[in-house]
Amino acid sequence: MTWIGEDDSAAVDVVVNGRPTAMRVPARRTLADALRDDGLTGTHLGCEHGVCGACTVLLDGRPVRSCLTLAVQAEGADVETVEGMAEGPELHVLQRAFHENGALQCGFCTPGFLMLALGLLRAEPEAPPERVREVLTSNLCRCTGGGPIVQAVLAAQRELAGDVA
Amino acid sequence: MTRVRGLVGADVERLADLPLLTGAARYVADVHRDGEVHARIVRSQVAHARIVGIDTADAEAVPGVLAVITADDLPDVRIPIRLPLADTPRARRVLQPPLARGVVRYVGEPIAVVVATDAYVAEDAAELVDVDLDDLDVVAEVATAADPGMPVLHPDLGDNIVSSYPLHHGDVDAAFARADVVVRERLRMHRHTAVPMETRGAIAEVDPATGRLTLWGGAKVKHAVRAALGEMLSMEPADIRIVEVNVGGGFGVRGEAYPEDYLVAFLALRLRRPVKWIEDRTEHFVATNHAREQEHELEIAATADGRLLAFRDRAWCDQGAYARSQGTLPELLPALHLPGPYRWEAFALETTGVLTNRTPVGTYRGPGMTEAAFVRERLLDVLAGRLGLDPAELRRRNLIRDDDLPFTWSLGAGSAPVPPISYQSGAFCSSFETLLERAGYDELRREAATRSGDTISVGVGVATYVEVGAMGPFEDARIAPAADGSFVVHVGVASLGQGVETVLAQIAGDELGVPMDRLRVDHHDTDAVPMGFGAFASRSTPVAGNAVLLAARDLRTKAAKLLGAEPDDVEFRDGHVHGPGGASCPVQDVGEGRGRFDKPHPTFSFGAALSVVEVERDTGRVRVVRHVVVHDVGRAVNPALVRGQLAGAASQGIGAALLEELSYDERAQPMATTLGDYRLPSAGELPDIEVIVLEHPAPGNPLGAKGAGESGMVGTPAAVANAVADALGATGPQVTTLPLTADRVRALLREAT
Repeated sequence: MTWIGEDDSAAVDVVVNGRPTAMRVPARRTLADALRDDGLTGTHLGCEHGVCGACTVLLDGRPVRSCLTLAVQAEGADVETVEGMAEGPELHVLQRAFHENGALQCGFCTPGFLMLALGLLRAEPEAPPERVREVLTSNLCRCTGGGPIVQAVLAAQRELAGDVA
Repeated sequence: MTRVRGLVGADVERLADLPLLTGAARYVADVHRDGEVHARIVRSQVAHARIVGIDTADAEAVPGVLAVITADDLPDVRIPIRLPLADTPRARRVLQPPLARGVVRYVGEPIAVVVATDAYVAEDAAELVDVDLDDLDVVAEVATAADPGMPVLHPDLGDNIVSSYPLHHGDVDAAFARADVVVRERLRMHRHTAVPMETRGAIAEVDPATGRLTLWGGAKVKHAVRAALGEMLSMEPADIRIVEVNVGGGFGVRGEAYPEDYLVAFLALRLRRPVKWIEDRTEHFVATNHAREQEHELEIAATADGRLLAFRDRAWCDQGAYARSQGTLPELLPALHLPGPYRWEAFALETTGVLTNRTPVGTYRGPGMTEAAFVRERLLDVLAGRLGLDPAELRRRNLIRDDDLPFTWSLGAGSAPVPPISYQSGAFCSSFETLLERAGYDELRREAATRSGDTISVGVGVATYVEVGAMGPFEDARIAPAADGSFVVHVGVASLGQGVETVLAQIAGDELGVPMDRLRVDHHDTDAVPMGFGAFASRSTPVAGNAVLLAARDLRTKAAKLLGAEPDDVEFRDGHVHGPGGASCPVQDVGEGRGRFDKPHPTFSFGAALSVVEVERDTGRVRVVRHVVVHDVGRAVNPALVRGQLAGAASQGIGAALLEELSYDERAQPMATTLGDYRLPSAGELPDIEVIVLEHPAPGNPLGAKGAGESGMVGTPAAVANAVADALGATGPQVTTLPLTADRVRALLREAT
């Protein structure tokens, strides 16, 4: 076993939004800071202690707090951030639903909520409304209170279900 | 020729959403300047102490550290008060220095700044700054802060009183002498604050060629911050540029001039490198303005048949350890709002701002009015209980009648000089009736009675209020046509997420008759917009909106003159302006439209809230199951956005009533410094808020708009408190303080049995 210092850089190979990426980061750098330093500033830091959820990204498909994840923990993983949601100019169903349901005001919490909802709807496409609300309580929105976000995710869920049928 | 109309009053889609949805938006932490370095603030860990010495040697020795500064490195400057109406000689003697000078007065007060090439390194090195402190006794409570014998925070002030606002109307003693019933309580609103999801931040850079300073991270009141920095840095305001990028929520606390704005600017000038500071969440809880904490000794006199006669109130309002940029607003604003929407024969009140060894207090959405509404509306319910009268009926009998408006309180001798408390328009009684009818008040009362049992108690509460908004002094707007047929609206507002750019574009587009995609609102940069008073006191739509409307009318009039036509007969299309009979010219030949809207006095508007709660008797847990707010916005330019503002504000009000508290221990140590300690409501704790938007146009402004951004907050804590009190039973222990956490409610339930 080799020990490395907190500011010694480590090589991390990850796939970010489908793009293989070789990062060199200090061992103590969080995944959130590493992504942001890489130009992906859509991942926001609201508390840096895992409560607000603004930094939520998908790690191998699961929503995680990137402020509590070290970049080196993402070695070999598939990382998805808000920048990867839209297909070119075509917004993802969830992004459109947020816009149409008044689910954002200042927008700071929005990327985290979008990634949380994306992870949920992929893992549990038929999650009942109570489950959707429960999962969305993991993140905080100060502007809307969160009710409109629940409505938006339910609307996106209906639309996605319709597309499958 | 007909004009395209109908943008004002329509639920137009928000303009600014796309970058927010895709991650492309740029908040201040996302701004990078070449060669930037990172500042970390060393803050006091104790509430009151003399600074004996500061040893910076170990921090300076850390590789990557460029500078460590203390108050000795700074000129002796203070953050000035922004608003003339909140500026008093005594408040000026307790202004905050950017770094503590000789004494620290609250946990979190900046003592030193470490600058390093990496933010992680700056944070490590800040831990190595050794501050030798000699503890002093603390003032940890608002109620006793002004008592004789308490430690004095600012010795040359002589005591801990910043200022007092006495207001008198009518003969209070005579009214109390006639009363059949007098109720009195000591009521306390607790310390809590805005907690936007984005913390504060700033990045300052000096142009080496011109010496001009740019500060990114502005919000709310950019031009006032420019003036404050100019004064403190001895620079011409014209040599300072404040830039607003995306802002992750403001709610009153973000965008005032703070110590850190000055510190990054000072360091950028000194180091000649861009200096960046991003607040972390724990800092935010001790560094960014707190709000609300007040204690009131209130008594109300009434007749046996439920007619309100008079009230007396003596209030102590916490300023924290210093007066900041908002001066005496913590005590001035509740004074203006205590009378509220009722027909008092007389009142006598005095609000006093006091200093405590805690984070300074500023304004948070619905400042002063939310506190005043809580104490007044809570005691009105106590009175209703004493009289055996339905709380809604008590209000119905005493609200200022629709045909009594306009209405102005006459203030007697000995009253402090305050802006006129004048209710120009609205319909208080019928608006309140609308709330009761739409919510189904009578049925809710019956249901609450039948559903309450051994395990659950159901309660219904209402509260009414008036709210000051649309503060002046004025706003300027300029509309510049571009060759491609689009128009840029230049106006000194701030976008904090409320959707102001959409609303202002609607107003301009409606008047010019052009679609939304031809309009852009430019408000981000003090260089591009020479003057502006910013986003506070629910003023952007009623003040800046009217300035934009006048600028659009000016442009239309100028175009008509050029074509020899009537203003109503010209059309803006395809980069040209067209008159009747085929006359036309390029729109750029018209020049710019300019408008200025003066607002010498603020506008008061009316609203009310109704809340239904369930109290679990075993656990004391309170759940708000329905919450309805009504507000008279004068005119809703974008009803969907107005509803979003009212619902969002009400959500914050429910958090304030049930969860959020910035508590301190007896040594004035803060107990809530993380989002784990300070509980924000999530979608799990909140009902879907029901919003009723009423429109009684304001006279004296072409749009007819009143304020709306704060309104959902104002009556909400009071309505929730009244609903919980109702659930606990009118004759039981009284709810006199918030938040109604499960602990507190359990204690009340135990008291009742």
